[in-house]
Amino acid sequence: MSASSAKEVLKLNDVSVSFGGLKAVSQFGISLHESELCGLIGPNGAGKTTVFNLITGVYLPDSGTMDLDGQNLCGLPPHEITKAGIARTFQNIRLYKELTVLENVLVSYHMRKPYGYVDALLRTRQYYAKEHELKEHALRLLSVVGLKNNPDDFAGSLSYGDQRRLEIARALATSPKVLLLDEPGAGLNSGEKVELMKVVSKIRDQFKVTILVIEHDMKFVMGICERILVLDHGELIAEGTPKQIQSNPKVIEAYLGVADA
Amino acid sequence: MADTHSLFFGDQDGLKTPWQILGFALLVLLLMGASALIENNVNPYVQRIIVNCGIGIILGLSLNLVNGCAGQFSLGHAGFMAVGAYVSAYLTTVLMPFGAFFQSDLGVGTAVVAGGLAAGLSGYVVGLPSLRLRGDYLAIVTLGFGEIIRIVFLNISAVGGPRGLPGIPLASNFFWVYLWAIVTFAIIYRLIHSSAGRAILSIREDEISSQSMGVDVSHYKVVAFVISAFFAGVAGGLFAHYQGFIDPNTFNFNRSVEVVIMVVIGGMGSLSGAVIGAVLVTMLPELLRFFAEYRMVIFSGLLVLVMLLRPMGIFGRHEIWEASWFANLKRKPKP
Repeated sequence: MSASSAKEVLKLNDVSVSFGGLKAVSQFGISLHESELCGLIGPNGAGKTTVFNLITGVYLPDSGTMDLDGQNLCGLPPHEITKAGIARTFQNIRLYKELTVLENVLVSYHMRKPYGYVDALLRTRQYYAKEHELKEHALRLLSVVGLKNNPDDFAGSLSYGDQRRLEIARALATSPKVLLLDEPGAGLNSGEKVELMKVVSKIRDQFKVTILVIEHDMKFVMGICERILVLDHGELIAEGTPKQIQSNPKVIEAYLGVADA
Repeated sequence: MADTHSLFFGDQDGLKTPWQILGFALLVLLLMGASALIENNVNPYVQRIIVNCGIGIILGLSLNLVNGCAGQFSLGHAGFMAVGAYVSAYLTTVLMPFGAFFQSDLGVGTAVVAGGLAAGLSGYVVGLPSLRLRGDYLAIVTLGFGEIIRIVFLNISAVGGPRGLPGIPLASNFFWVYLWAIVTFAIIYRLIHSSAGRAILSIREDEISSQSMGVDVSHYKVVAFVISAFFAGVAGGLFAHYQGFIDPNTFNFNRSVEVVIMVVIGGMGSLSGAVIGAVLVTMLPELLRFFAEYRMVIFSGLLVLVMLLRPMGIFGRHEIWEASWFANLKRKPKP
């Protein structure tokens, strides 16, 4: 699949944000295409998660533009941005621990208002029909990420790897155009990571969703991404295919430092 | 949860509307029977405790929606109760020109609902600061609100000021209080087990991920506050028309704390827990009258004991029908 021919979905232009004197992200620009799997890497503190927080409306950029399919995202509150079609997972897992696995996914359907208060309070036919439909859909998503066996367990009781998968299922339930995965492989063993790579690729193919993934594990990033962006000190220092990135001197410098002269 | 709810609320496909109506009619008849039975056979002192339990149940259930389900710690529930009590009592007692209507059962019912709506409105006003505050800070703001309400009524001479408002028609009784308690339970239960309810629960669990999953967090916090305040107002109205007299000090800080205790003892987020918490907190001080001056000491001791044995409250975040012994009861094999 050639990235340039596909439709552009998410576009960031010259986005900057600073906290006090620290320029966390400066003049950052990306353009993601339809059903592209793109990696965002960089040393610790490079501003990767800040980029996610900017896209999802947690932080307001000081300057620059962001748009999704032509819709401006700057200044929208996070829930509106999710509605527009951007979903995310969190680096430090943020599930609803005391709700069940199924309920965790069901919350994500609420923004489309499946039925009104009257339906809920009078338990109309609409209520039962919609609840049934949503549950079926949620169970399908859970089976895509490999979690179909225990929908009624509390999310907090799942193993770490399963919690990561549930976060992905929950984000998918918002039917996003763009899915942002923040270190989905953190804390997983190598076997679990291989499984996760398969899941992420499968999701891209099955849902035709654009995925931007932050990940430190190079095997993971190089293995599934078509394109990689490298961030250092809040600036985009390189962009290209995994091969190009591996041999890019700037990237090597950012990760390993410069050899003493 | 999906499975357990069939126990009380019909199978997965749900009760058809005619059955729902029939069920409700049956409930009303049952309540009327119980009401007649109690009014004729139980001594007035015990009757009073039973009715106060019912009012406590409405208060506990409504506070549970904000404190237990939405996870916003509110300490001003007596304030909402006061708004409901004063507004409804004003309509039935002071506003005499319309007296004829407001003396009837229907009129008192209308006044109680009006009191609830006024309280709901004040819930909206208090809900707004909750958008920016959380935890202890929100608790302080709601506490302040409760006190402001009390002091406002203390200074309005049209409703008696510090002397209180006497001569309120004694229109509320066992029947009306428990009917409202059941309605409150049903509405809050069904709300929580709906899409909007899950949105409210997700705010308690994690506000940041909740908004990232498209939940309008501000909106649902306010919704929870308004619904909660409405029922607190109704409880206030029922209380006023049961006592026949209200004064601002009835709705002081202690009353708010009492409701918080009901919710915490029962288990935050558990509806049946709030009901049992309300009954315990209302009845225990009366049962302990036997101990005379040590009564409140023993009461406090019992509360401490419950919290030591069940740190999450009696039912935690579960419902009574989810408890293992109860589920076992249900699962008894058929002969």
